[in-house]
Amino acid sequence: MTQAMSPRAMTPGARALPAAWVATAAAVCLAAGATGAAAQAPSPVTHYVLDQAKSTLEFTFMQAGAQNKGKFTRFPVSFDFSPGNLGDSRLEVTVEIGSLDTGDKDRDDTLRGADLFAVTKFPQAHFSASQFNRTAAGYEAIGKLTIRGVTHDARVPFAFRTADEQGVAVGYMSGKTSVRRLDFGVGQGDWKATDQVGNEVGVTFALRLTSAAH
Amino acid sequence: MIIRNTPHRWGAVAQLLHWTIVVLIIVQVTLASLAEDLPPLKKLAMLARHKSVGITILGLAILRLAWRWLNATPALPETLKPYQRVLARGTHALMYLVLFAMPLSGWMMSSARGFAVSWFGFFQLPDLVPKNRALYEALLTTHETLAVVLGVLVTVHAGAALGHHFMLKDNVLRRMLPFTATTQGTER
Repeated sequence: MTQAMSPRAMTPGARALPAAWVATAAAVCLAAGATGAAAQAPSPVTHYVLDQAKSTLEFTFMQAGAQNKGKFTRFPVSFDFSPGNLGDSRLEVTVEIGSLDTGDKDRDDTLRGADLFAVTKFPQAHFSASQFNRTAAGYEAIGKLTIRGVTHDARVPFAFRTADEQGVAVGYMSGKTSVRRLDFGVGQGDWKATDQVGNEVGVTFALRLTSAAH
Repeated sequence: MIIRNTPHRWGAVAQLLHWTIVVLIIVQVTLASLAEDLPPLKKLAMLARHKSVGITILGLAILRLAWRWLNATPALPETLKPYQRVLARGTHALMYLVLFAMPLSGWMMSSARGFAVSWFGFFQLPDLVPKNRALYEALLTTHETLAVVLGVLVTVHAGAALGHHFMLKDNVLRRMLPFTATTQGTER
């Protein structure tokens, strides 16, 4: 900041300015530098929240040799993001485990039960990321994933694009990853066996995020 | 033992298919009843086996029908009265129908409930219908009703076979049994 501004301060025009103005300009420069607005003029991050009705978070799992599907229907997201300012970007996802839906009530109740997700004790899963990398396919969020009270490091690749929809900045975030359920203790007792219900669970997401009005 | 059917006797292939399906149907009834009161994970495993065996029966039923079309069908005994012929043909036709309808309704049931079917974990079968609870309930009723219908048909069929063997003393049962001699050409 200081480097960028100093040549201007030394222009002939600046020399003609009253000393007080120069002092003010310098103070503004310093203040701006202190708040972290870097010389490369980083774009401010946009704050997005989830458009739940138009977003999906699905999981696939092997059950008795066949791939089966389920989804979560409530998973609030807070996403502060700018492709030009990954350093200040933040992602917070809270998944309401009780909202899981595999299309079968008995199976859903079993999944919510003590041996699997133990929803009464651990009603939510979290993903919290504050480190973002650019990848060939888009981005990667690096953070902590907590399921059933167990936290592990996780990297989630995703694609992100923005659109202007009637003056509102909208972000579309999508990607897929996988989770080993037993790493998080999802499967106690008999459910630790993986011959009927596989360990690897695929996770697919397609989110519509709207920029919240400040 | 001859491979193909003759006008008087079922060949080895037809017999093998017939008796294999008989054994597998007994396995199916056993697995389904065992699964009834099991806790979720064990029930899942038991029903997965039930589905795999069911798909096997479906495959065998297709082979069986194809083989039937490619072969002579041993004639009904000449001693049968017309109404008995109708009854015999009707029972056989219905049994073939149920042989297909049972596994298909079970497969559809699994699809409707969102429990995809795999054949012994080797490969996964596509879903026949979308997830739909009401459809699942209807298919479950159908599947269970068909099981009862099959039970009745099998009773009539086996009863008739035994009746032919012990009361009419003809070839009808023997010609479906391996290692038994039949008095060729005399459908007494």
